[in-house]
Amino acid sequence: MAHSRRLAAGIAALTSTALLLAACSGESEDPAASGSDGGGDAQVTLTWWHNGTGEPLNGYWQSVADAFMAENPNVTVDVQAYQNEELQRTLIPNALRSNDPPDLFQQWGAGELAAQVEAGYIMDVTDDVADIVDGIAAVSPWQIDGKTYGLPFSFGIEGFWYNTELFDQAGITETPETLDDLYDAIDALKAADITPIAVGAGDSWPAAHYWYNFALKACSPATLEAAQANLVFDDPCFVDAGTMLQEFLDSEPFQEGYLATSAQQGAGSSAGLLANGNAAMELMGHWNPGVMGGLTESGEIPEFLGWFNFPSIPGSAGDPTAVLGGGDGFSCSAGAPPECVDLLRFISSVDNQIAFGETGAGVPVTMGSEDAVDPILAQVLEGRNSATYTQMWLDTAYGPNVGGAMNDGITNMFAGQASPEDIVQGMQDAAANQ
Amino acid sequence: MTVTSSRTSSPDAGTAQQRRKVRWSQPFVYLIALVVVGVAVAPVGYVILGGFRTTAQLNNDPAGLPDPATLDNYRTVLTSGAFWQQVLNSTLVSLGTTLGVVLLGVMAAFVIARYEFRGRQALYSLFTAGLLFPLTVAILPLYLMLRNMGLDGSLLSVLIPQVAFALPMTVIILVPFLKAIPNELEEASFIDGATRFGFFWRILLPLSGPGLVTVGVLAFVTSWNAYLLPLLMLGGDPSSFTLPLGVQVFSTQYSQDTAAVLAFTSLAMLPALIFFTMMERHIVSGLSGAVKG
Amino acid sequence: MAVTTIEAGPAEISAGPAPAAPRRASWRKWIEITVFAGPALLVYLTFVFVPVGLAAYYSVFNWNGYGPLEDFIGFDNYARALTDSVFLNSIVHNLIIMVASLLVQGPLAIGIALLLNRPMRGRTFLRLAIFVPYVLSEVIAALAWRLILQPDGAFDSMLESLGLGSAAQLWLADTSIAMWTLFAILSWKYIGLAIVLFLAGLQGVPPELTEAAQIDGATWWQIQRHITIPLLGPTIRIWAFLSIIGSLQLFDMVWILTGGGPANATSTMATYMMQFGFQRSQLGYGSAVAVILFFISLAIALVYQRTVMRRDLEGAVTTGAS
Repeated sequence: MAHSRRLAAGIAALTSTALLLAACSGESEDPAASGSDGGGDAQVTLTWWHNGTGEPLNGYWQSVADAFMAENPNVTVDVQAYQNEELQRTLIPNALRSNDPPDLFQQWGAGELAAQVEAGYIMDVTDDVADIVDGIAAVSPWQIDGKTYGLPFSFGIEGFWYNTELFDQAGITETPETLDDLYDAIDALKAADITPIAVGAGDSWPAAHYWYNFALKACSPATLEAAQANLVFDDPCFVDAGTMLQEFLDSEPFQEGYLATSAQQGAGSSAGLLANGNAAMELMGHWNPGVMGGLTESGEIPEFLGWFNFPSIPGSAGDPTAVLGGGDGFSCSAGAPPECVDLLRFISSVDNQIAFGETGAGVPVTMGSEDAVDPILAQVLEGRNSATYTQMWLDTAYGPNVGGAMNDGITNMFAGQASPEDIVQGMQDAAANQ
Repeated sequence: MTVTSSRTSSPDAGTAQQRRKVRWSQPFVYLIALVVVGVAVAPVGYVILGGFRTTAQLNNDPAGLPDPATLDNYRTVLTSGAFWQQVLNSTLVSLGTTLGVVLLGVMAAFVIARYEFRGRQALYSLFTAGLLFPLTVAILPLYLMLRNMGLDGSLLSVLIPQVAFALPMTVIILVPFLKAIPNELEEASFIDGATRFGFFWRILLPLSGPGLVTVGVLAFVTSWNAYLLPLLMLGGDPSSFTLPLGVQVFSTQYSQDTAAVLAFTSLAMLPALIFFTMMERHIVSGLSGAVKG
Repeated sequence: MAVTTIEAGPAEISAGPAPAAPRRASWRKWIEITVFAGPALLVYLTFVFVPVGLAAYYSVFNWNGYGPLEDFIGFDNYARALTDSVFLNSIVHNLIIMVASLLVQGPLAIGIALLLNRPMRGRTFLRLAIFVPYVLSEVIAALAWRLILQPDGAFDSMLESLGLGSAAQLWLADTSIAMWTLFAILSWKYIGLAIVLFLAGLQGVPPELTEAAQIDGATWWQIQRHITIPLLGPTIRIWAFLSIIGSLQLFDMVWILTGGGPANATSTMATYMMQFGFQRSQLGYGSAVAVILFFISLAIALVYQRTVMRRDLEGAVTTGAS
């Protein structure tokens, strides 16, 4: 990892901050909490921040909190849902910097987690979850240097969500296997007067994911791993990714005004366009059915929804079975009470993961909960489990600084204002200022 | 109290122009006025009317009229506890900010306007320099400070910085007001045995009524509309949301239901509009004093 | 009543009355000054100056906000910002909005104020209506405009029904148009304040002057041109000052409307600071941008005050620095 050389400093900071926080909380917190050590029934309030503002997720997390409170009468769980970008970019970082962060909060893992761990904001739960961690798929983004700092509840891979009815209407019988198939599908849809693909470039990252996928096809896994570890992007394959993206953009597959379209808000968002039959495809992660369920008038996940993996590009340097993916998890903040770990374990329990899979809002990670996954997500799950190499979303993997510069450069290419070289240059400049 | 004292300075009275014959020969002026009003209120009208439509109607014809009109959206918002909680929070924060800024501001302006002392000019410059500091510039350190003071989540964490950042404008508007009060009044009150404090409370405050109302309304509107500070300070707890925060969260959470978002939005803007309608003439009269200073 | 007394009020700050001075011990005066000005000063210094000072302090560190400030880098953050084309473009955007506001909103607002300052039916209603956008919160206004201007939204379908369907644009999604859409919305939002300020200023124009001119046979336009507008000078200059400051510090509206996009086409210094500083966990860098924003505001304010506003706000900001 990029941050390993600063590990010693990180651990020192972690210890001192933890001590400081303990000292602070001992003095200032509710006396009932600190006054009765040993007695397991002291009243504890846990604050929990997540990004599930829409249904079914919002209700699901509340039901998990309710069930946890029923099992632990001394614990009150205060659950809050926030808009995703606001939560990740503003609320959580600021709350961690202050001395009163939420106890349990959404954790996207990898680069950003590393920075948080280095600063000593995250609780090391390695020992507390040692007995269950082997039963959870894709934990590694939530681990730094062999220590566990959180657990995923969902991990999926990216692919095209598509409208089977619109595909039929355009006479497309097979889902695209190769990039050329995809170009054919785009042409067929356009000929049928259907918007081929919706993209929420207004939020930047949905546009950036196209480049990620091309990078995955252009670069070998070894190159990608090295780039992630050292934040060096001088391999020509990164420029190739931009060239491939430029070619893709030249086919003009997107809806009108995509530069200002948001990913998840309202019927006019990219997910809303797909959910309401106004676009045929959207490249998006495994959470998309959950989002679309909140964007249709009926509040249901549309019946016509299908999924296929990002098409392969014959002859490219990348590993054809490599997939791009990511997940959602939770971490406990360094000063959180021990009940936070109990809640974290509770969320990851097989029963709750089965219930989570049944909501259709994600791909559960705890082994034994796979069967509950609905047929569409089962495809995602199968893709995840059969991949030889899983690359974390590049912006998460590279951290907010380089990741932000990368997404910005890619969005500029979508706006016709950046060359493949510009994107890489922006990433290298940002890495130099790390 | 200041409201009644300033009512005497109605902007519609007093200028002789009014007594001139109304010139009906200029329909052009009315046409312009109509266009101006149309542009100003059309988006607001769209939001309010949209609240009476269903989302299906809005999707089919974005610019149409309610057909048939439905009260469901408004009913849902008005019967939700969250909305009223946010109205209450916004009211508390805005009234508190207004009160704080008017009180602190008039006291400081009093010193600058009516005391002669070394450093007075510097004090005035210090306050006016604050105009150049946007809240945005200081938002991060401010956030850390307030959280470490243990104020986060409390309405005070929004109220106090808003008072601080509204002070420059308040002082700038009030100083000329207080200066303009004739010295004879002050001397007369001392002859009657009043102290400086007595003069301040009983003579100066009532006389500066229009100015106080102006700065009060400006502070109120700014506070009522504030977004960034409440987002950071109150974001953790919906029961302490103010209306702009509530609108933003609601529009995210029910983003598929455009009609509901429009209904929530129009109800959220109503209190400020009503308040302003009641106060409009006082603002104009107060500003007319201030802009001459 | 108060309005008329104020006309006598001198604008300059220099000659404040101090009739009590000979009668009171100086320590008593200082206690009064402290009691009156102390609370305001304390709140102001603590919550405005200290945070701004802290921002300046952060700005010389490479700091991701996590952990202590250790990595002192001097003025590197400043050098980086001033060589970043996106930031330089953001400054240009602020300046475009500043100049356009002065050139478009100013004359428009003066014209409307002059028209409305005459007796006409429904004048009170008119004034209220004009002020409506200013009273709305930025969040509400921006959300409403986003809905209205989305592709095939209400505005486009209105154009369509007027037979102007071909004029429809990607109002917020086209990088060459978004800036002007933003400016139009900002004008809509803030011109009400200008009009109301000018209306307030117009009430101070002595009716005798215009009546006398009228008797002399001057036309309505001549009266406005040679009497009313010159007398409106101080009001115009103060409005312009507020408009300049507002344009330079522009944030809320842009943030919610476009977030600085598409592809940074509408970024301002403040949205750049949020996006490239804070959202990328580059807090030292973001703080440097904040400090640059402050100094640009200060420089423009000083130049403006030294030249245009000399007579109006004598010493308000300038003397502290001189």
